[in-house]
Amino acid sequence: MGSLFRSEQMQLCRLFLQTEAAFNGVSKLGELGVAQFKDLNADMNAFKRKFVNEVRRCDEMERRLRVLYKEMTKHGLTAVEASHEPETPQPREMVDLEAKFEKLENEVREVNGNHDTLMTNYRQLIDLKSVLEITERFFKPGEQNANVLDVLTSDEGTSAAAPPGIDVLAHAIGLNFVTGVIIRKRIPGFERVLWRVSRGNTFVRHVPIAQQDADAEPKSVFIIFFQGNRLKTSILKICDASQATLYTYPEQEGERADMLKSVVARLEDLDKVLDEMRKHRERILLTVAENVMRWMVKVAKMKAVFTTMNLFRPTHDSLIAECWISIFDLDRCQQALRSASEMSGSAVPPVVEKVPTTEAPPTYNRVNKFTRAFQGIVDAYGVAAYREVNPAPFTIISFPFLFAIMFGDSGHGLLVTLFAIALVVNERKLMAKRSDNEIFNTFFGGRYIILLMGLFSVYTGLIYNDTFSKSMNIFGSAWRANFATPADNGSIPGWLVDNKYVQLNPDTNQTAHVMLIKHEPYPFGVDPVWMVSINKILFSNSFKMKVSIVLGVSQMLFGVILGIFNHTYFRRPINIICEFIPQLLFLTCIFGYLCFMIIYKWIAFEGVGESAHCAPSLLIVLINMFMLKYPTEPCSAVAFYGAQQGVQTFLVLVALVCVPWMLIPKPVVIYLQRKKQQRPSSYHNEAYSDTEPANGHAIDGHEGIQLTNSKQPEAVHDVEAHDVEAHAGGAPAAAHGEHEEDMSDVVVHQCIHTIEFCLGCVSHTASYLRLWALSLAHGQLSEVLWNMVFKMALSMNGIAGAFIMVPLFAAWAVLTVGVLLVMEGLSAFLHALRLHWVEFQSKFYVGSGYLFQPFAFAAIVRERLDEATRTKPE
Amino acid sequence: MDSLSFNINGGYLEGIVRGFKSGILKRTDYLNLVQCETLDDLKLHLQSTDYGNFLANEPSPLSVSVIDDKLREKLVSEFEYLRNHSVEPLSTFLDYIRYSYMIDNIVLLITGTLHQRHISELIPKCHPLGSFEQMEAIHVASTPAELYNAVLVDTPLAPYFIDCISEHDLDEMNIEIIRNTLYKAYLEDFHSFCKNIGGTTAEAMCEILAFEADRRAFIITINSFGTELSKDDRAKLYPRCGKLFPDGLSQLARADEYEQVRQVAENYGGYRTLFEGAGTNPGDKTLEDKFFEHEVKLNVNAFMQQFHFGVFYAYIKLKEQECRNIVWISECVAQRHRAKIDSYIPIF
Repeated sequence: MGSLFRSEQMQLCRLFLQTEAAFNGVSKLGELGVAQFKDLNADMNAFKRKFVNEVRRCDEMERRLRVLYKEMTKHGLTAVEASHEPETPQPREMVDLEAKFEKLENEVREVNGNHDTLMTNYRQLIDLKSVLEITERFFKPGEQNANVLDVLTSDEGTSAAAPPGIDVLAHAIGLNFVTGVIIRKRIPGFERVLWRVSRGNTFVRHVPIAQQDADAEPKSVFIIFFQGNRLKTSILKICDASQATLYTYPEQEGERADMLKSVVARLEDLDKVLDEMRKHRERILLTVAENVMRWMVKVAKMKAVFTTMNLFRPTHDSLIAECWISIFDLDRCQQALRSASEMSGSAVPPVVEKVPTTEAPPTYNRVNKFTRAFQGIVDAYGVAAYREVNPAPFTIISFPFLFAIMFGDSGHGLLVTLFAIALVVNERKLMAKRSDNEIFNTFFGGRYIILLMGLFSVYTGLIYNDTFSKSMNIFGSAWRANFATPADNGSIPGWLVDNKYVQLNPDTNQTAHVMLIKHEPYPFGVDPVWMVSINKILFSNSFKMKVSIVLGVSQMLFGVILGIFNHTYFRRPINIICEFIPQLLFLTCIFGYLCFMIIYKWIAFEGVGESAHCAPSLLIVLINMFMLKYPTEPCSAVAFYGAQQGVQTFLVLVALVCVPWMLIPKPVVIYLQRKKQQRPSSYHNEAYSDTEPANGHAIDGHEGIQLTNSKQPEAVHDVEAHDVEAHAGGAPAAAHGEHEEDMSDVVVHQCIHTIEFCLGCVSHTASYLRLWALSLAHGQLSEVLWNMVFKMALSMNGIAGAFIMVPLFAAWAVLTVGVLLVMEGLSAFLHALRLHWVEFQSKFYVGSGYLFQPFAFAAIVRERLDEATRTKPE
Repeated sequence: MDSLSFNINGGYLEGIVRGFKSGILKRTDYLNLVQCETLDDLKLHLQSTDYGNFLANEPSPLSVSVIDDKLREKLVSEFEYLRNHSVEPLSTFLDYIRYSYMIDNIVLLITGTLHQRHISELIPKCHPLGSFEQMEAIHVASTPAELYNAVLVDTPLAPYFIDCISEHDLDEMNIEIIRNTLYKAYLEDFHSFCKNIGGTTAEAMCEILAFEADRRAFIITINSFGTELSKDDRAKLYPRCGKLFPDGLSQLARADEYEQVRQVAENYGGYRTLFEGAGTNPGDKTLEDKFFEHEVKLNVNAFMQQFHFGVFYAYIKLKEQECRNIVWISECVAQRHRAKIDSYIPIF
């Protein structure tokens, strides 16, 4: 197995597959998910490829399945998850599947069609029923129709003395009417057009029909009174245009009753038929629900195989494929192909042949569920070039650690850890759920990062002695506030009572009873006494700043050192001499020395006596070092060890020399090399040497691998023929890969590189101070939250204090989680990310590669299922 | 239009429309499309473009009308998205784009009714961009006055229709006159609307609308030869917002044959070249195609400037042209009539 330090060695392989065995071979490879196929028909149109018809048939099957799935969900059935993943079906099964799907789709469609016709019939009957019932009301004298009567009678000037029926009356005065049903939302437009066409000479009433089934649009019954035949044609046209259905209204009372009776009877019959039909449909859809997931997977796999086979170059009886395979997977791959060819009973065994190439292979880092997220962080910045040093293994520790420095609070760390543990413990369950929530998925994907971040935060929190901004006095402070003299007899001396601030002097040269510190320091982390001191911030700032610098410089130095692994691996001695060494010297001479001074100052200077006041100010010393000034005043700027002046001058000179060292020699050497090789085949530049090792490997393994024990002479012959072809075809590609960089570009490049490194060292070191700044901010925020919110409850006396505690604790807890854990956590995460991407990786990492994307069923099937299940019926 | 504040209301939509624009098929896409042998090939290729899966749920075999419907559906959904997210004055501007489709629909319905077609058979043929509430009631009307009073008075097209009320009955000739009068009023109104918006919008849109107006004037003139339309009536139909106004239009009004129209175009640099290359011989491009090409060029030019509404108009028109192209190619593919398959008008 490959390590995470470098990506795995990849091999470009050429597969010769018999056409009939190709399907099984590819599907086996798809199950394994180890090969990335190259498109050998890039210049061919999508629809001219060999298996385009099969792909199209799969498309059609997918469409049918989508229809069935949609139909199924529409009727409230849920698909049964497949208990085990089905195998890729053989191509000959395709016809069966197609027939099955077609039959099902047609059945469903037929049932739906019949159902729909019956439904329209049913609805029409309901409409008719409503017309009969409601129109009756229009014509019955009563309150509702008073205005109808008014209008009709006042127009004609006859008296409104309760006529037997308005229909009779209307007839008598030459009024016509039509009744019908219209979709309710069309009524306003309908009325307006009626009014305009008839110039106001119609009378319209409408009554909503009570909703009966949810699918139908709400409708209303209307009745229009009008005069004259000309108007009638217009009105009929308008009704037609507004998609209103007209129903004749029998004039005789008896006729109406008969009609109503028959309508009700027919409705009952229809109800029964519809019920039967629905049951039948449910039976069909139940079989669909049981199988649809399996079918979807099958079709998706089949389609993926055919799509992949479209990438192969067809010859008269075989297919040629080219793919990248990790050399660790070659054996598995060969085995799979062999078993596939046995399965399909092909006479000629498949041949796997290694192909030498100068093309850059893809980058493949084998990850597990733990390392995946960390590799993701690195890949998000840029995928490593092939076999380049991969920063991911170091990121696993350094990333959570830098995060924790900024997030140092053991209480908060504990909460984060518990959250991450909950995710990790339930990961199987959560994974099966396939949540759609993007935010949750982000957290879930990074659960192991969060776990480590939480654990490291607990650790740094203990070092800072911060738990929800409070300190824990576990071992007993190493400081004692023992001001009482024996004369006081155990009572507090009077001067101390009035004194608000007492300074604790860490002087060890006192007699035992007045000595204020123990001889041992606090065993772990920061002494809790600092929590109550007023110069706590000053103390922790100084400590955290220095720690940030020391850690930052160490990480950058480590980054520079990692560079040498790249230079030696890719055989670029010039980069070691002209880049690596001066860079290392430059960084150590300036910032390495600064770290040395930080640590020296911690060790060499006591808190008391003469030296305490004259401890060197590191910033001033560093500035003076560059200005070559060694003043005698004030005493904090004076040299603090013997050979300081000599050492510092030497270091500055070395650092200064490093700048031209980085800048000049490399372009000169490249120039001389090119001049020496001013011959036609002068491809020797950096790019060429980059690919050299890959070349070497490829040539080592440059012979066809026979997959069977019985050697078949034809096959070998075939291989050789193709070899020649491959060399011919490979040449232009090779020339393309080794582009010659212009000399002026080389110079400019080197200038930029040098300036970037030198300035970068300064700015990056300063950038690491964000560790201190965020840590300070986090500590202060949590302290403020405690003091402003929760402390109020604790400091309140009496019974009210107990009650107020509950809401205040809630507020404190919510703000702690919302602000301190989530927001602060995100910002610390962001800064840790930046420190890795910019400050650390810029020292050695190029990230110009491309990812290995193997042809794997697992990913394809998952994507397909997600897509299918997400298309909910609207 | 102030470019400083344009993005407050229009920035998002302009971004969207520029994104849509980059999905317009390129020359290479067309080269691939014309090589298709069946409509399924066409579908396969369109899948790899911005159209994506728009035909995925259609059962094979495909028909050209299905493709046409789906193309139109996509354009309409994009337009509706823009319209729903727009605020004044952009929303009015987008409504103006809609009016031309409404005019087409009205004319289609009147003609259909005249030929005794049933309304339910005509409605699906209407362009969905130009559908409006009272549309179905059009067949009630038998005279222009009725049409106006019953139907159009509630639509935004009412002011354009005033000039047509005087016509007495609806026959083929009058319908054409109504169509052109409506168009004329519409173009002039749109032109002045864009001018009022001012700034880059006016600059870009007036150029396009002026060409549209002139194209109509040319086409009306050419088509009127040999009909009973009098010269006076004809002159009334010319939109007066193009470059031909006023001299060119008065010359056109006097023209009696194609050659004279050509003479008029001679005086205008932009149009001379269009007439020069056009011909009716096989292999030549028709004048109509020439006009389309010029329109595409103008619309593409609208994208050269930022912070204006012209891009919305231009996008809709370009997309429409693209739909025409795809339908043309599909027709050629479906009828196995490959000789003329290359007569589409490439956009980029």
